[in-house]
Amino acid sequence: MARVTRPDWASLGLLAFVVAFFVFMLAPILVVVVVSFTSASYVAFPVPGWSLKWFWHIFEYEPFIDSLIVSFEVAVGATVLSCLIGIPACLFLARSRAGWASAVMTFLLSPLSMPMIVIGFAGLFFLSWVGIGISFTALLVTHTVVCLPYVVRTVAGVYRSVPRAYEEAAAILGANPLAVFRHVTLPLIRPGIMAGSLFSFLTSFDNLPVSYFFGSADTNTLPVVMLSYMEHQFDPSIAALSTLQLLLAVVALLVVDRLYGIDKMTVTG
Amino acid sequence: MTEMTDVSPPRGRTALRPWMLVLPALLFLAGFFVAPLIDNGARSFLGEEGGFTLARYWQLLSDRFYLGVIFETVALSAGVTLISALIGYPVAYFLVRKAGKWSGLVIFLLIAPLLTSIIMRTFGWQVLFARRGLVNNLLVDQIGLLDRPLRLLNTPEIAIAALVHVLVPFMVLSIASVLQGVDRRLEESAQMLGAGRVRTFFEVTLPLSLDGVGTGAILVFMIANGSFVTLVLLGGGLQTLPLLIYQQFNTTRDFGMASAMSTILLVIALVCLWLQLRLVRRQGG
Repeated sequence: MARVTRPDWASLGLLAFVVAFFVFMLAPILVVVVVSFTSASYVAFPVPGWSLKWFWHIFEYEPFIDSLIVSFEVAVGATVLSCLIGIPACLFLARSRAGWASAVMTFLLSPLSMPMIVIGFAGLFFLSWVGIGISFTALLVTHTVVCLPYVVRTVAGVYRSVPRAYEEAAAILGANPLAVFRHVTLPLIRPGIMAGSLFSFLTSFDNLPVSYFFGSADTNTLPVVMLSYMEHQFDPSIAALSTLQLLLAVVALLVVDRLYGIDKMTVTG
Repeated sequence: MTEMTDVSPPRGRTALRPWMLVLPALLFLAGFFVAPLIDNGARSFLGEEGGFTLARYWQLLSDRFYLGVIFETVALSAGVTLISALIGYPVAYFLVRKAGKWSGLVIFLLIAPLLTSIIMRTFGWQVLFARRGLVNNLLVDQIGLLDRPLRLLNTPEIAIAALVHVLVPFMVLSIASVLQGVDRRLEESAQMLGAGRVRTFFEVTLPLSLDGVGTGAILVFMIANGSFVTLVLLGGGLQTLPLLIYQQFNTTRDFGMASAMSTILLVIALVCLWLQLRLVRRQGG
């Protein structure tokens, strides 16, 4: 299927446009990575010299570390909780032909479409009324609302593409439903679970509009602390933290991609 | 036999009732997503001394200031959506039709920014456009075009650029997925029948890919509508509903008013969701 495309002005123009587009997309990210290695005590670009001191500074500023731990716990907790309630729902919804099943699916995905600031604001007042106000539990529960759609969408997408025949064969051969799930279904949908969990984790970890409303000394997440830091100071420690966060995301993506081939899912899904 | 484990497969023995598998998720969202939103809506109608009131909505929809804010919210989202579509379309076209063996790289470059935190990108814009940032540095010292640094941060233009930066990948991916399904033979037929490349594009390719533009536009509009971190840090004097809710919560502490504004934002989101569902149904997806 080799197609001969002669270079022409329209194609060259398009290529130039795409290159400019990616400069626009990558410039704000790359400058932050560069600034995080600066030796200066202020933010300037280009940087006057190189050092790792701003990475060390992160560990000296206690709120960063404390909130990093909170963020990590919330992200893991919300992801696990999303999987526990989301995967069973997918098992039914992805195979059901009932009319109400697609309505339920839409409902489970709908938190994606709601403004997060509204979910956070409304959640704070409601959960205070219920009695779990500003607490780790409240943070966990609200993050799960936001994370659940990522798990449901990815797992349901993968499960839909799995032919029924495997499960039917196992059932005919005498496996009970639990055994069919453990030995047939689960291994088949594992890529979806991994990818969905990754999106869920990253979404929670980066969430600011929801976490903001549940902020206290014990429940401030990393983005909340970074925002308040940025509102008062402008120094390269934010750059260093951002670079670390990006590194974490890239490593996680590469690992999941290496194990399960994530690109196929994100683009077609 | 009435007991139900979470892990039974979808079509187990009928006594297990497979539909019960959706209950945990359904109940969870009912309790922690729908109930708070209803509670929030109810609060916006609750008068200062109890009782029902429409005063807040009357104020929001008649006061010049609030009307201006609502208009600015919608106009900003619409503007960001339009710019994303204009920038995103050529990139999607390139990805599907021209990238060939480079398409993996293009997709990677599109998705990579989605992995960065919103704080990081905002910080990046500040580094680029601060008084001693890269852009001023180039304009003043390197090229010598200006003799004084420009005030670039805290202008609406930078805030819009930052929002487009966050949202345009969604637009590109939406358009690309539809463009991929456009039958190339239709374009070839048009050209064989004598249409030029420009005419083929505007009369065949573009109309066939408009569904992708629509899907992307609703998605971008919806996210732009609720975004506030970018505006808090790069604001440029723009006043939108999310920003106002943030301020009401922080400083004014008029929670009833913030609830009413949240409800308006929610209604806009629901309209978008409805449009999205209609579009998806038409595509038969």
